[in-house]
Amino acid sequence: MKFADMQYRFSEFWSEFKKERSGLVGLAILVLSLLVVIFEPVILPWKEANSKWRNIDYWQDNSASAPPAWTNAFTKLKAPVTVRLDEGKKEEAYLDGGVQLVTYTFEYDYGADKAPLDVIFHVTGHGDIPVQVSVERPDGVMLDFAQRFEQGLAGQDIRISLDNDGREAAFSFIKNYESESALERYSGRSLRTGDILFNVAREGMAEEFEPLKGTYKLMVKAMLLDPENFSIENPYVVVTGSVSGILGTDDSKRDLFSGLVAGLKWALLIGLLTSAISVLIGVLYGIISAYFGGVVDSVMQFIYQIVNSVPVLPVLIVISAIFKPNIYMLIAVMVLFFWTGSVMTVRSMALQIKEETYIEAAKALGAKKSRIIFKHMVPILIPYSFASMALSVPSAIVYESSVSLLGLGDATIVTWGQILHDAMQGAAILKGMWWWVLPPGLLIAIMGMTFAFLGFSMDKILHPKLKTR
Amino acid sequence: MNSLLKVENLQMHYVTSKGAVRAIDDISFELMRGETIGLVGESGCGKTSLGTSILRMPTPPGRYISGKILVDGVDVIPLPEREVRRNIRWQKISMVFQGAMNCLTPVYTIGRQMMETINEHSDLPRPDAENLIKEYLGYVGLSPEIVQRYPHELSGGMKQRVVIAMALFLRPEIVILDEPTTALDVIVQAQIINLLKKLKQQFGLSFIFITHDLALEAEISDRLCVMYAGKIVEMGSNAQIYGAQGPGHPYTERLLGATPRLFKKVEQLQFIPGTPPDLIAPPKGCRFSPRCNKAFDRCFQEEPPLVEIEPGHMSACWLHQRG
Amino acid sequence: MYKWFALKRVLKGIVTYVIIIFIMSVLFNTVNEQTMRSNIEEQVRAESARLKNMQPAAIQRFQEQRRQDLIHLYRLDRPFMERILYRTWNTLTFNFGKSTIIKSSRGEREVLTIIGEALPRSLILFTLAAAIEIVVGIILGLKKAQKPGGSLDRSTSLITMIVYGMPTFWLAMILIMFFVYQLKIFPSAGMHSIPPPQGIMYFLDLLWHMTLPLLTLLLIGFWGVSYMVRNIVLSILQEDYILAARARGIPENKVLFGHTLRTAAPPLITMSVLQLLASISGAIIFEGIFSWPGLGNLYWIAVQQNDIPVLMGDLAITVGLYQLGLIVLDLSYGFMDPRIKVGGKA
Repeated sequence: MKFADMQYRFSEFWSEFKKERSGLVGLAILVLSLLVVIFEPVILPWKEANSKWRNIDYWQDNSASAPPAWTNAFTKLKAPVTVRLDEGKKEEAYLDGGVQLVTYTFEYDYGADKAPLDVIFHVTGHGDIPVQVSVERPDGVMLDFAQRFEQGLAGQDIRISLDNDGREAAFSFIKNYESESALERYSGRSLRTGDILFNVAREGMAEEFEPLKGTYKLMVKAMLLDPENFSIENPYVVVTGSVSGILGTDDSKRDLFSGLVAGLKWALLIGLLTSAISVLIGVLYGIISAYFGGVVDSVMQFIYQIVNSVPVLPVLIVISAIFKPNIYMLIAVMVLFFWTGSVMTVRSMALQIKEETYIEAAKALGAKKSRIIFKHMVPILIPYSFASMALSVPSAIVYESSVSLLGLGDATIVTWGQILHDAMQGAAILKGMWWWVLPPGLLIAIMGMTFAFLGFSMDKILHPKLKTR
Repeated sequence: MNSLLKVENLQMHYVTSKGAVRAIDDISFELMRGETIGLVGESGCGKTSLGTSILRMPTPPGRYISGKILVDGVDVIPLPEREVRRNIRWQKISMVFQGAMNCLTPVYTIGRQMMETINEHSDLPRPDAENLIKEYLGYVGLSPEIVQRYPHELSGGMKQRVVIAMALFLRPEIVILDEPTTALDVIVQAQIINLLKKLKQQFGLSFIFITHDLALEAEISDRLCVMYAGKIVEMGSNAQIYGAQGPGHPYTERLLGATPRLFKKVEQLQFIPGTPPDLIAPPKGCRFSPRCNKAFDRCFQEEPPLVEIEPGHMSACWLHQRG
Repeated sequence: MYKWFALKRVLKGIVTYVIIIFIMSVLFNTVNEQTMRSNIEEQVRAESARLKNMQPAAIQRFQEQRRQDLIHLYRLDRPFMERILYRTWNTLTFNFGKSTIIKSSRGEREVLTIIGEALPRSLILFTLAAAIEIVVGIILGLKKAQKPGGSLDRSTSLITMIVYGMPTFWLAMILIMFFVYQLKIFPSAGMHSIPPPQGIMYFLDLLWHMTLPLLTLLLIGFWGVSYMVRNIVLSILQEDYILAARARGIPENKVLFGHTLRTAAPPLITMSVLQLLASISGAIIFEGIFSWPGLGNLYWIAVQQNDIPVLMGDLAITVGLYQLGLIVLDLSYGFMDPRIKVGGKA
């Protein structure tokens, strides 16, 4: 098949395809998905979501089980959104003894109606660094929270969480307004630092939260005892809200939008790889079976029937449970069953082509069998298999999600099925965490729909029955 | 007036998204009681469309544009479907379709399909209906036990006979036969033609015999109607057209020329160059003119009307008309 | 004619099943034998616990002896091929052994019993769903075929494509979240309330529990059926014999329901049975979500609890059911299509 031939066939196909609206929609979504995969590093809010999905430390500052940020638009009482503050004003002051005091001040505009869950301060240090964090409230009150003295740092991160490390300071503050008896009801567990810090200072503040809105100054102070050798850098503050991200978080504080975006490429990989390989095998199988006929055909038919009589998913699950394959082995096993899909149609078409005169002519010219098969038969039959390729993608994706849903998936990667598995484990359905349950399955469904659109449109154009009429 | 069927200026077009295909473009003819008209022409000239139109069943997207089809003096085109189905179709006019191989539903036995047809048109009690079936199967030379068989168990010739029996047993006056022997081998073909001739005589039937095979047409019909591109170009008795004087239209001449003869040595079989015209936008003037070897100026400008060039012999050609 | 055809088909099915079981026995041999060995250990330990008044050395000898006995009994000391064949034979005769953890409702650990209890529960749900899907699908498909390209046809085809890749288990999750936890109309899990009520209430209770799973299956299922019905019927309607039947004066509804539908019956049956088989295949996750105590759910539990004998037994039965379905499919196709049933010359 010359290139010009292929071009011609393709443009013929394309002019037909353009007329199918659903096919174009499918194509558009597919192209969009590919773009997302290519630009993934830019799109991901949490850049290392891929490798650090199961790393607790990576997600530790995020809110857990938080609905998406935009749900605030629908609630009367606005919840604070988790934000990360990177831009801090740096001040340097010099004290006696050559000690340098470095202060980073971050401004946080608090306008929500509910209290943030935590305020977490980070700074990277070199040497022996005492660190203190303080907060100046809009009402002028300056609160000093935790202090830490880390020694022997060589570029490690110092993390101070107000909720973990600042409870005492918070409680001393609140004692100014509430009696001991009032506070007895609240153990350290139920009253968070955030509930106190962002609360209007008054009697009864422990009972009821009234938001003190305004600009808060969050400060990290570090003392460099030996300014020559010790230093700090990379300060940032995370205010952990009760809503977070584009699609919320799961109970392990992972940003679901990042997880879903990361899962897109795997879904595409699984779907496309499985269907492409299995259809290629199926086409070759059908052609060889038809071309050689006789004993070869009978044997191949027999093998085909055996493989075809196996219910794929149960076997897939048992194999996964016992051998615990990684994603590529899973694809290989799926291919092992999927190839039967296109064999019958291809075989009957190949049988027809075999009788064509140009095949006889080729044989008379002394062409080798492999040449006839590959140069004459395969190029004609491959387009017919595109439709079945597209239509088998959704099955591959759903099978993988089923396997992952049972917890048998490849633990080194993130797939939508695994996110659903975690949702089941975390009783998301029970807790009504719709942002955890809905999106992964919805994406699977949309992928399925996309390839259904593509496949059915192609089928309409390329279907063999229609061609021979 | 002994005319069983009179078609007056019939226009039937297939309405497609690309335009209306003028498959039947102003056709008029008459069928008398007891006579057989042969309808010949190339593939795509409209003969099958004419057949289904007379039966008031134009293949979708066909539509009647104008004209009349008078059966026993009554125009059937405006009649409601129920009426046509009950009284006209199969009672007055029946049809034997092209490719009878595929005209029988594969999942019902022959007997069931025949019985079903009878029940739709009459209240004949079961034993009488069974006898009727046996009778007609006998006429077409088939053993009565085939009522238990399924279509796929019969040969092509047998299926054709069944279809013929079914077309006749309600005693219609007119039978339209659309290429009833095309898919059969010559021996069977001869058998079927002989059968048809016998039945025609026995029951006094009138046939409209559609074919592209002139030799066959000559065998079975009295009169001949030549169609080209949706129009009738010549009409007359077999004697007039095949006779010594020769046909009255260049197209018919060419058709005859293209028929191989058994006893005449022919140097080269004539064929007609070119292809039939596009029926959505037919050419100006005579439709055959692009392919006609005797065409002159007027042919390309004005369309020749169908006029009588001798008693009972019509032709639509400037060459054979004066004026 | 037909009897030969039927016989050949059944034989082919049996042979295929045997081969599949054989391959599975080879594939899962290691795991199976590990399980057997640990079972043996368990049994040996149980037996020696009942011994009293024996020296430790004597106990050890006893254990060794018993271990060897059991190994010999289960043929673990025989060559590879023989073990495989033995296992294949066992599986084929439904001799699945005992489960590791899972128990039946009466507390038994015979795998066959456990599976035997689970099977009818799956069947109720899926056959009912398939039946409804087929009926609705046929009606809808016929309507679509009558006006191809019309608004009903196009809109339903669009929905068919949208639902094509939708995982049933996800829809199940959504519906549960909505109907069970938000609206609190339906029960969240299982087949019966605990304890199950008596008499007529038993059936009503069952129906109540069945509604949501059934609804989930139906919402996705019948679209595909109707699409296929539409295509099959449409291609038949273009055939010459339909035209001929109409010409003969057969009224339209007889043409549609008699000639067309009857001719469409063989591929329709094929499609329906395949639909049913497909739902058996996908039942695992689906039943798991609803905790519907059928075969699929058994799989799920067996995987979670690593109960290998149950898993193997379930797999063998599922494959067997699938095979049975395929055989039924071919047999009924042959029965419905006179071209196969009666054979004959062309």
